[in-house]
Amino acid sequence: MKFIVCRLLPLVICLITLTSCWSSKELNQVAIATAIGIDKSDDGYLLSVQVLNPGEIVSQNPTSRAAVTTYRTTGGTLFEAFRRLTVEAPRKVYFSHVQKVVFGEELAESGILKTLDFLSRDHEMRTDFLLVIAKDTKADELLKILTPMDKIPASKMVSSLEMSEKNWAPTHTVKLDELINTLVGDGVEAVLTGINLKGDPEIGIDMKNVEKVDPPTTIQIGNIGVFKGDKLVGWLNEDESKGFNYLQDNVESTIINVPCSENSASVEVVNTNTKLKVQLRNHIPTITATVRIEGNVGDVECSTDFTNPKNLEDLENKVENDVKDKMEKSVKAAKELNSDIFGFGTLLYRSNPNEWKVMKKSWDDDFQDVEVNYEVHATIPRLGTITESFQRKGDD
Amino acid sequence: MKRIRKLGERRRKRSNVNEQTPPSSHNVSSFHFSLKKNIEHIQKTLGESSDIVIREFKAGVDGSMHLAVFYTDGLADKAMVQDFIIEPLMFDIRQSDLTSDAFQNKSHLDILKTFSIASGDMVPIKDFDIFFQHVLSGDTAILIDGDAEGVAIGSRGWEDRGVNEPTSQTVIRGPKDGFTETLRTNTALIRRKIKDPNLWIETKTIGAKTHTDVALIYLNGVVEPELVDEVRERLSRITIDGILESANIEEHIQDETYSPFPTIFNSERPDTVAAGILEGRIAIVIDGTPFVLLVPALFVQFFQSSEDYYQRFDQGVLIRLLRYISFFLALLTPSAYIAVTTFHQEMLPTPLLISLAAQREGIPFPALIEAILMELTFEILREAGVRMPRAVGSAISIVGALVLGQAAVEAGIVSNAMVIVVSITAISSFVMPAFNMAISVRILRFPFMILAATFGLFGIILGLIAMVLHLCGLRSFGAPYMSPMAPLIMNDQKDAIIRAPLWSLSSRPAFMSENKTRNQTPSPKPDSK
Repeated sequence: MKFIVCRLLPLVICLITLTSCWSSKELNQVAIATAIGIDKSDDGYLLSVQVLNPGEIVSQNPTSRAAVTTYRTTGGTLFEAFRRLTVEAPRKVYFSHVQKVVFGEELAESGILKTLDFLSRDHEMRTDFLLVIAKDTKADELLKILTPMDKIPASKMVSSLEMSEKNWAPTHTVKLDELINTLVGDGVEAVLTGINLKGDPEIGIDMKNVEKVDPPTTIQIGNIGVFKGDKLVGWLNEDESKGFNYLQDNVESTIINVPCSENSASVEVVNTNTKLKVQLRNHIPTITATVRIEGNVGDVECSTDFTNPKNLEDLENKVENDVKDKMEKSVKAAKELNSDIFGFGTLLYRSNPNEWKVMKKSWDDDFQDVEVNYEVHATIPRLGTITESFQRKGDD
Repeated sequence: MKRIRKLGERRRKRSNVNEQTPPSSHNVSSFHFSLKKNIEHIQKTLGESSDIVIREFKAGVDGSMHLAVFYTDGLADKAMVQDFIIEPLMFDIRQSDLTSDAFQNKSHLDILKTFSIASGDMVPIKDFDIFFQHVLSGDTAILIDGDAEGVAIGSRGWEDRGVNEPTSQTVIRGPKDGFTETLRTNTALIRRKIKDPNLWIETKTIGAKTHTDVALIYLNGVVEPELVDEVRERLSRITIDGILESANIEEHIQDETYSPFPTIFNSERPDTVAAGILEGRIAIVIDGTPFVLLVPALFVQFFQSSEDYYQRFDQGVLIRLLRYISFFLALLTPSAYIAVTTFHQEMLPTPLLISLAAQREGIPFPALIEAILMELTFEILREAGVRMPRAVGSAISIVGALVLGQAAVEAGIVSNAMVIVVSITAISSFVMPAFNMAISVRILRFPFMILAATFGLFGIILGLIAMVLHLCGLRSFGAPYMSPMAPLIMNDQKDAIIRAPLWSLSSRPAFMSENKTRNQTPSPKPDSK
């Protein structure tokens, strides 16, 4: 026994003391970053990091200090900028809980590929954050805006992005792996959702912004930005963004507004399913998009009687036309920007690899010739909790 | 580990050497023919102890029989000694003529034995050693002048606690009787549950000074005969002055001293012990303690309560699973907390991390120190709660709950999360029905915390691997400690981590019984028409 103790004890002591809790970091020695903003600057990158002030977020009796702090540094490479943060931040900035990365529009226009290497290489990054573009502004500006409800602006942005993607459809959340795949992959171009800054940024950085019922400066989820290569080349509008998501089978639920006699009615889409098929006719790819949509009558602001199957069928046709119209618009917009954001090229590669080898080089031109046929089937099985509209009662 | 085992063996050998020199407490000597000399010797040996009653008188019509009655005041049943020993001797014999023909060829002792003493429990005694053993155990001895032999009459009857509800391993449904400090009562309690002629009780005396009665109880024909031999052999190896509790025996016969895990099961409940005997285990009942040992013991046994079998089987399953969960909670909660908050912050959901980080703001200690501080405080509180006089119990709970819990958090010395962690650990450790397994967990928690603070989850996993390896290497009286998991015995899984319906438990556990088949209704379903 003594022998074992004599041998083991020094080893154990060395193990515990010499390793000195290698790479351990106490929670009160790290600053948790929730958002990273990357902008272009004269000497490389302007990095802004939104760091949490945890005490302020969960505190029962909050003080007037802000819940987040934004630090800003510059650097020739992204990593250098990240490490330079230590001169600003009092603690080691901890990046595992970054929820989103914002690219300034200027940077996005000049290319984002170089910045992605560090984001995916660094071991601390969890790579499940969302990537967005600060539309018409700098990422730095966006990260300084305080938001009501959610004390952490980054999680506000992430949750509204996710909510709007689920329930409204013209937005699309992109994570790092998807972005890299679309950036480096052949036959597909990247998209990123834009974030708008509404109001005066000067007011937005003040606590007064969140003290008001109607905050003067807010952050809004915008539409989809289209990349060509790693450069931002343009934006889709709301309809086009929605069309893009229909084509990509990204829509979970949305509202489709259709005219209905003198006024309009809304259909709540509860389920969609899109299948893309590619066929070659005379070396011209033809895409057939089959969209199945299931929806409920959500809002009837006209006197049409939807208990009549004929009217319901009519409504279904209108929904089909609306969806088709939006998809057409988005394909048109993509063709104008000459960016194959739908991944038609990948589709072609999968079905006709040999053809793709030839077309690959001239895909920029060939993409313009791609024909898309739309087959939309809408079904509206439910009318909601009431059947007839109140307006009809009034008419009788 | 092997080395440790060898060392243990060496130590055992050394103690065997000690065994050779006999304990020379008093000389083995036979009685004198003279009663007077005998009494003198007895008084001298006992140092004229005040609790030894020596009643000397003459019996027979002519008073020709000179005899003395010896008993220990307090241990012997006084009324019994009076009514059935002294009275017949003094009065009945006085009336009879000892010189008459009927008694002609008989010694005085034979006359006493045959005609006078109205007791079923009587043994002849030939020397002082046996004499003292009997008298000091509560029996009454009679010595007669002119006879170098006496008799001891069973008259044991002292004040005892009576059969009460056990204070440990309590159940909601199930028998409420518990063992007492008296060996005879305890064997009776078991016999009352198993009225089978094959329930054999072997008694021996251990302890050079205490002469404690130890009984082996087993079901002949069910128990593995080698197991009985092994237990006998290990018990016979014990040379010790005193056995005051079954733990004294346990420590001498357990397989592994240097292990935090108990390899012998103990219980205060006759039903638990009876169930063990029915499975082919051996119960070791020790006089003077209500805790009865049961060997061999398996790891899973410490997670089983007799109530598992008294409630419906689905509840039994749920509650057993709960115990395993709480075992891991009690073992790993503080270390997992330390590991996650100091090494693997990325594993936590962001809102939880923020909440934890906010609590850690301003805490002056690293998480390890904080955890050890709180765990230590709790252990002290618990120990104090067990040892202190009952009357001051409420003071401890006030100090514990308010001062240490709330005030420490408010003063910013520990975080709220740590208080929660310590509480869940504490409560979980009370879930285990076997207290000695709960103590193992208490001990192991601290090394795990240090491992977690040094290597994070990696350290915890290393620790767990080491623990499982150690557990798999343990044996209890020949049975692998981790069976039926390691080695895997599919048939025994029915009554290990889960508890299958009773009708499906048709075999006894492996490694402890020679007769595997149990009488069990194959299926309880009534015949369907």
